[in-house]
Amino acid sequence: MSSRIPTGIGLGLRAAFIDRVARGDADGAIAFVEVSPENYMHRGGGMPRALGRVAERFPVVTHGLMMSLGGTDPFDDEYFATLRGFLDRHDTPWHSDHVCWSGLDGSMLHDLLPVPFTSRAAQRVAERVIEARDRLGRPMAVENISWYLELGAPQLDEPAFLCEVLERADAQLLLDVNNVFVNAQNHGFDPYAWLARIPLDRVVQLHVAGHEAWDETLVIDTHGADVRSEVHDMLGWVIERVGPKPVVLERDSNIPELSVLLAEVAALDEVYRSALSRWESRRAPAAHGS
Amino acid sequence: MDREPDRSIAAMAAVIREESAAAEVRADFAGWLRGKGLAEADVQALASTGGERFLVYRALVHNRLLAAIREFLPRVAARRGRDHLRADFAAFMAAAAPKSPYLRDVPGEFVAWVGTRWHSDAPPWLWDLARHELLEMEVRNDPRGGEAPTGLDIALDRPLVFDGSARAMRYDWAVHELPRAEDDRSEPVCAPTELLVFRDAKNKVRYLVLTRWAGLVLAELLVAGRPVAEGLHHAAAAMGEPLDDDKLAKSAMLFAELFEAGVLLGAAR
Repeated sequence: MSSRIPTGIGLGLRAAFIDRVARGDADGAIAFVEVSPENYMHRGGGMPRALGRVAERFPVVTHGLMMSLGGTDPFDDEYFATLRGFLDRHDTPWHSDHVCWSGLDGSMLHDLLPVPFTSRAAQRVAERVIEARDRLGRPMAVENISWYLELGAPQLDEPAFLCEVLERADAQLLLDVNNVFVNAQNHGFDPYAWLARIPLDRVVQLHVAGHEAWDETLVIDTHGADVRSEVHDMLGWVIERVGPKPVVLERDSNIPELSVLLAEVAALDEVYRSALSRWESRRAPAAHGS
Repeated sequence: MDREPDRSIAAMAAVIREESAAAEVRADFAGWLRGKGLAEADVQALASTGGERFLVYRALVHNRLLAAIREFLPRVAARRGRDHLRADFAAFMAAAAPKSPYLRDVPGEFVAWVGTRWHSDAPPWLWDLARHELLEMEVRNDPRGGEAPTGLDIALDRPLVFDGSARAMRYDWAVHELPRAEDDRSEPVCAPTELLVFRDAKNKVRYLVLTRWAGLVLAELLVAGRPVAEGLHHAAAAMGEPLDDDKLAKSAMLFAELFEAGVLLGAAR
């Protein structure tokens, strides 16, 4: 598959349904797949073979889990060499990972842990994004995460923090609109005001997912439920402003039958196409006037 | 590049890893944070959010990693029981913690660490069962395997080549005979057990139960990589018996069976 940049609604590929996608059960229903390279690196047997068959059917974009861009441990040379080989084989247009830390002092905690919203942390994340981009030989996009507390006294708020990272690293943004919604729910801000402060011209990809309640005061980004209508609306708001982009439906727990996921993809596609129409309408006056 | 961890990041790592962290945070969150060296402004900001919210991250990490362990070690997890497994895992996080960036490696890291702890605190066969359950995942996902036959006939002066996924396992307990049902609580027979495990051409994990002789032969030819004749002599010596016609005939039958199964690929070049 070439490195053409996909647009439309894609699906995060998971072990639960990779064989069915490889057999063609999602043909015509999704525009592309997103894979987490860590699930295939240093791995033989059925999974990489199935991915090979999927890659013959769909464009592939990659989204990492363990780069720990907000961490302080030196990057793992072997991890990056293997990752670069994977990205080269799949000829992906960019690679993305999260604005978070995932390990410290050699331990790997396998979660998306929050960084303090300080200029010092922003500078460190940006430097690591640049180093990752150089090591991987392709553009890097960073994803905003769900965070459940501010890690210390913040110097910046999240939009300002992200802007500083993106500008310092000249990086692209993988905008997870569900994470914005979850954070807005947990911390009581207006998600549209948040979106209005983000450099939308840096958005190269979007994520949508569902979330679940932890208790009466906290929702968690579990990727374990259907996408909420409010997140549909936010997706439409962004697409109306940024135009055609790849949008990934993520589902990591309570994974339903593939047919159910594809129905959710179809619903998202309706939102996407409607928003694209509005985007085209927005562009039309400018085109006539130029 | 800035390599000095933020104190707040170090504190979050501590709340996730330290065994006593949950109780200490609940008892005096601000004091606990000060003990971790946080600036007073950070202490006040975090304390205003509350220790329970900080502990959410401990729960999220522990739940995620324990889920991986339960997925790969379902019968061990069921037999060990929820509370014991959580305690084992908390001790593992405090003393060692995962080091691999691959989530699927966490169960193996846990088992490698917990074996010594179980010696005094669990059925004597639990570690064998854990190794056996891990084996399925390890062989299924081994990057090696599926290599082409060498095209060379077996020769006494050359080592053999096996499928890269193949491994010889030895247990003190016949854990491979236990039912796969997670609610089964039968116990394995105490019997030295040797298995050859490999992934076949259809990516299925296959198990061959080995006789003592076959186990010794594979220890020499698969594990140690000795030439055939040398390996057979070593295996016979390990049994304390001569390498007689009976053993040679059994070896020939073993090689034929392994070749037919696709795990023996021929003589090395």
